[in-house]
Amino acid sequence: MATTWPRAYWRMVAWDLADFRLHLPVLSAVLILQGAGFALGIGLLFSDMPEAAAVFVVTGVPVMNLITAGLIFEPQLVAEQRTRGSYEFLQSLPVPRSAAALAWYTVALATAAPAVALTLVTGVARYHLHLTVTPMVVPAMLLTCLAGVLLGLAIAHGVTMPMAAMLASTTLIFVMFGFSPVAFPAAQLPGWLAAVNEWLPFGSMATIVRAGLVTGVASDVPRAYLVVAAWAAGAALVVAWAQGRRG
Amino acid sequence: MNVRRGPGYWAASYAAMLRFDLAAQRNWLPMFALMQILFGAGMAIIYGFYIGHLPADAALFIVSGAPALAVLTAGLIGVVMMVTERQQAGTWDFIWSLPAPRSAAVASTFTVFTLLGVPGIVATLALAAWRYGLTLTVTPMVVPALLLSSLMATSVGFAMAQLIARPVLTNAIVNALIFVVLVFSPVQFPISRLPLWLADVHRVLPIYYLGQVLRASVTRGLVSNLALSYAMLAAWTAAAWVATAWVVRRR
Repeated sequence: MATTWPRAYWRMVAWDLADFRLHLPVLSAVLILQGAGFALGIGLLFSDMPEAAAVFVVTGVPVMNLITAGLIFEPQLVAEQRTRGSYEFLQSLPVPRSAAALAWYTVALATAAPAVALTLVTGVARYHLHLTVTPMVVPAMLLTCLAGVLLGLAIAHGVTMPMAAMLASTTLIFVMFGFSPVAFPAAQLPGWLAAVNEWLPFGSMATIVRAGLVTGVASDVPRAYLVVAAWAAGAALVVAWAQGRRG
Repeated sequence: MNVRRGPGYWAASYAAMLRFDLAAQRNWLPMFALMQILFGAGMAIIYGFYIGHLPADAALFIVSGAPALAVLTAGLIGVVMMVTERQQAGTWDFIWSLPAPRSAAVASTFTVFTLLGVPGIVATLALAAWRYGLTLTVTPMVVPALLLSSLMATSVGFAMAQLIARPVLTNAIVNALIFVVLVFSPVQFPISRLPLWLADVHRVLPIYYLGQVLRASVTRGLVSNLALSYAMLAAWTAAAWVATAWVVRRR
């Protein structure tokens, strides 16, 4: 008998929670360390941190929290499953793949949420900032996390060589953290790199999340939403193709 | 039966182990150098993006701190990864069973990794200086500075991995350490910016002194009390050797 979609979704949430019961607390702790630690650590680079720089760091680092689980952890996990041989088994489970993907998105979101909150609280307290949080932060964070999860799934399912998938996700950490205008203004990058970043997802993710947290800093927000949505849609197509290919 | 011993035998064993280690590490070499450049020069460039407009003195601080990041990457990640990989594969048991003094085997590993670290450090320095358009004042002291730093990082990384002896635990510790090292070490910024308790911790750990020794060898007037930094690096190296000797003899 076929399982209904909502039932399959809940079952996959339960499956993921059970499957990752050892990973998730560690991952959540790593994300908190990454977020709060980074927000504090970057301040040390400045003798006297300007408020504008602090705003960028504090509103940018939560974006890294939101996408790390989906973009970095998932491809490494699937690479491990492929090496172990459990990948094919998981793919053969009798649940709609959209339900499985959405279940993982839910788990990734729940893992990132404490880190996002703690990063913001730590950053605001350290740099004495006043954020103007608007309801728009909710869709911005949901879309950012979704795009991260879909991109991660696209790498995980589209790149079949475990080593290549690991390498791709490790490279992405470096690109996200060092070469994308997430926690610093795009103007501080060389011109060509800033231009490239207009079409990459990370800077735009930061723009939409920042627009929901402070007023008057983020510009060209609708375009940023379009860029992030386009990457999410493109990644979803790759995932559908990669999984469909396997029948 | 004669047990072979004496300086001549030790030297011959050392030379043989050197050939063994070089042959075993040849696939590693490009990865090792790439990783160092990525963390050394890469971080120096990335910190520049975060800070935005850099005055020349701040840029000099960042550039002269970059080699320390490359050294720490080699010692903390490279050497530890090599040691744990050999632990998992059982290679150490094989090496200890060879008819060579264990001190010769360890000395050869230290030599190879100390020297392997140098090209990555030099490339990091060159890249970082080029990025910020700086001219460095390289003194002859750069030779002992590079060698002692690289030897210290290799020795400490090796001793740490051998002492812990559990690859999963070692990897977790190294991953946590590298984050702390990259973000909270007074290498890319003056130690006075740290909270007092953390500054005190860094006056015992070797990271700050490593940064000072390397910085002094390519700049003028930025570093004071250099003798203390050299002494601390030498002390950490010696402590790592004592720990290594204890672990290696125990087996």
